[in-house]
Amino acid sequence: MPGHAHDAGLEDYRREARAWLSANLRRREGPDPDRGVDDYTPEVMAANRALQRRLFEAGYAGITWPREYGGQGLPAAYESAFVEEAAGYVLPDFGALTITTFYVCVPTMLAHAPPGFLRGFVPRVLAGEQLVCQFFSEPSSGSDLAGARTRAVRDGDQWVLNGQKIWSTFAHRADSGMCLARTDPSVPKHQGLTWFLVPCDAPGLTIRPIRQINEVAEFCEEFFDDVVVPDSNRLCEVNAGWPVTQTMFVMERGAGRPEDDTPLEGPGPLAPDLVQLARGSGRLDDPIVRQKLAWAHTTDFVGRALGARIAQLGRLGRLNPGVASYVKLFRGTYSPMRARLAVEIGGAAAMTWDPADDEGADAALAYLRGRGASIAGGTNETQRNVIGERALGLPREPSFDTRKPFSDVLREAKNWTGKV
Amino acid sequence: MELDLSSDQDLLRGTTARLIESMCPLSTVRRLTESDTGLPPGYLGAAADVGWFAMLVPEQYGGGSVSGRGVCDLAIVAEERGRALQPSPFVSMNVVAAALAAAGTPEQRATILPALCRGEVIATWAPGDGGGAVPAASVTATARGDTFALSGRVGQVEAAALADWLLVSARGARGGLVQFIVRAATPGVTVTPLRGLDITQRLAAVSFDDALVPAEAVVGRPGACDGDIERQLHLACALSTVETVGAIDALFELTRQYAVDRTAFGRPIGSFQAVKHQLADMSLALEASKAVGAAAVNAVQADGEDAGEIVSMAKSWVGDAGIDVAQGCAQVFAGIGYTWEHDLHLFLRRITMNSLLFGHPDWHRERICRLHGV
Repeated sequence: MPGHAHDAGLEDYRREARAWLSANLRRREGPDPDRGVDDYTPEVMAANRALQRRLFEAGYAGITWPREYGGQGLPAAYESAFVEEAAGYVLPDFGALTITTFYVCVPTMLAHAPPGFLRGFVPRVLAGEQLVCQFFSEPSSGSDLAGARTRAVRDGDQWVLNGQKIWSTFAHRADSGMCLARTDPSVPKHQGLTWFLVPCDAPGLTIRPIRQINEVAEFCEEFFDDVVVPDSNRLCEVNAGWPVTQTMFVMERGAGRPEDDTPLEGPGPLAPDLVQLARGSGRLDDPIVRQKLAWAHTTDFVGRALGARIAQLGRLGRLNPGVASYVKLFRGTYSPMRARLAVEIGGAAAMTWDPADDEGADAALAYLRGRGASIAGGTNETQRNVIGERALGLPREPSFDTRKPFSDVLREAKNWTGKV
Repeated sequence: MELDLSSDQDLLRGTTARLIESMCPLSTVRRLTESDTGLPPGYLGAAADVGWFAMLVPEQYGGGSVSGRGVCDLAIVAEERGRALQPSPFVSMNVVAAALAAAGTPEQRATILPALCRGEVIATWAPGDGGGAVPAASVTATARGDTFALSGRVGQVEAAALADWLLVSARGARGGLVQFIVRAATPGVTVTPLRGLDITQRLAAVSFDDALVPAEAVVGRPGACDGDIERQLHLACALSTVETVGAIDALFELTRQYAVDRTAFGRPIGSFQAVKHQLADMSLALEASKAVGAAAVNAVQADGEDAGEIVSMAKSWVGDAGIDVAQGCAQVFAGIGYTWEHDLHLFLRRITMNSLLFGHPDWHRERICRLHGV
């Protein structure tokens, strides 16, 4: 495209978007409140779906997605322009499903799934009719994602799925799940996997929220009892699921999310939650407590500075796949430590409360939640492997399961002697 | 460390790196630990030619920066110096340059700054009590007619044994802070070179025994120079932190390479998860240090209200992280790193000492609390 015409097109686009937003959407009244899973009631979800449909009908959904699947097929600069113009407006919010649908699962499908499937499915996603969760981890395989055991057996032009999935964020609010299944257990584990789209209301599929130790239920477990999906819901060639998974990992690491561009903000107030606890326990003058307050405040700021640095590396085109793991490992390392400080500073008084006190449980729940950052979305250990191997170029460890038939691996795992 | 350098700044970085490589590589640093001055011949003049001491000095006195953002430019030099454990003076010399440019009398500036820019005189800052850079607790200044009598002692002053000029932060009779620019050769001033953990740096104790300095030596407004001293501290901490980041970066790269090259049990030791994970954690500490170091430099350059807090956060974080990484690298090198001939200990010494100068991490954390009125 000639440069001048391109720029004139972008500026026209921006002006039109600005006008449409002003005439059609509601302005935000300040920063987004912290919403928990319970805030996403069926009514809230329905209202957000309706908003998504309006965006779709006006041509502002899937701005960079292919036109033949309901998107606009425009370059990234147009999406960035829209996101900038829309920053002050209330946009569709589906909680975690926004990320899983629009930034992880469907972009992965766009890279791999058959055109016939995409033509039918993607427009419904853009119209707010299809929210997609992840059926990835299983009780027996989290870090070892390729060790999935949920079985898909072909039956004519259908597939029958049996097994279990777990830690599916917001599955109880989703319409479908992107499901990793084993289609051939007789070959090495990476060679026998296939992806399917499974409707959440499929007969035989039971979705159950998991009660977490901090009493919230953001995640679900799923039980597949002879769940039937048509072959038209198969998202890749049979047994060719692993390359799709690798695309999905790249998407998950947040490549290309325009809103990750915010500049580094100032330090802000000194660890207000911990200062309050210190006051409550009468220890604000205790030099040890003061060291912990300043350490927590500093660590919070360093984490944000690191995030800004990683984002800048991305903008400068100097991001390698390992680098994004730094932010995850930072949070996974320091969130548990910071959560522990509340226990150390607040003492027993902060860990017990009058039942009538609505906020009394906050410090205790935060302590329990703190461990989650080191486990969810890839444990600290897997992040260290990614950093070690992809960012630092260290050689891999030997692996003993990647060349054996998967069924042999399962049978022999418990008899491991360390001799190969 | 700073990701988006202009082409001029990149040139500064390259020129600095080449100067260091040609005049004072690590092998020379090692050899200089046994020399008198700790400086190679001609080093200061060559450094001055690149602009190492001129970035914060106005042009009329022979100064000038590369990008118009002198603190950022100095940080580029500081990082390269840290990579190769370069000898002082640098940090304190630039602190004095900035202090005189900001608060010096016209005569002080005209007398000292041009020669300082050219590396023909050496100046350093004697901030306060030992090891804390708590300004001015340890030297008192008593007015006597139109002179001041200085008494007290300051420890760990950078390059004091070579200095021609000392910027002294002192406490006046009424308890307020006052600063002086003092000739090192003033009667009553005794400089005692110290030996220390860090054999790559020359630190000295400076004693003032009723040393008389003229009223013309006062820098800034007596009793009202707290802000001046704070800004000096911020600059010193930012540059020292960045130098440490450079040292950590260089040491970590040596260690990473070692983990790839060294084999045991039939494979590179970096392929063992225990070693790999330690290196990953160290790499995280290094990246976080680069991020907060850059934030501190930008904050000092902008001189906003949060500069002091950000500097203290960076100094304390990098101070702790640096020692963690250096100790971790020592663990990866194992036996060979424990020998004198290996460069590990040179880095360990500098990184450790830097964490303590201009305020150790605990001191800075306490300062953060006070800055928040807690």
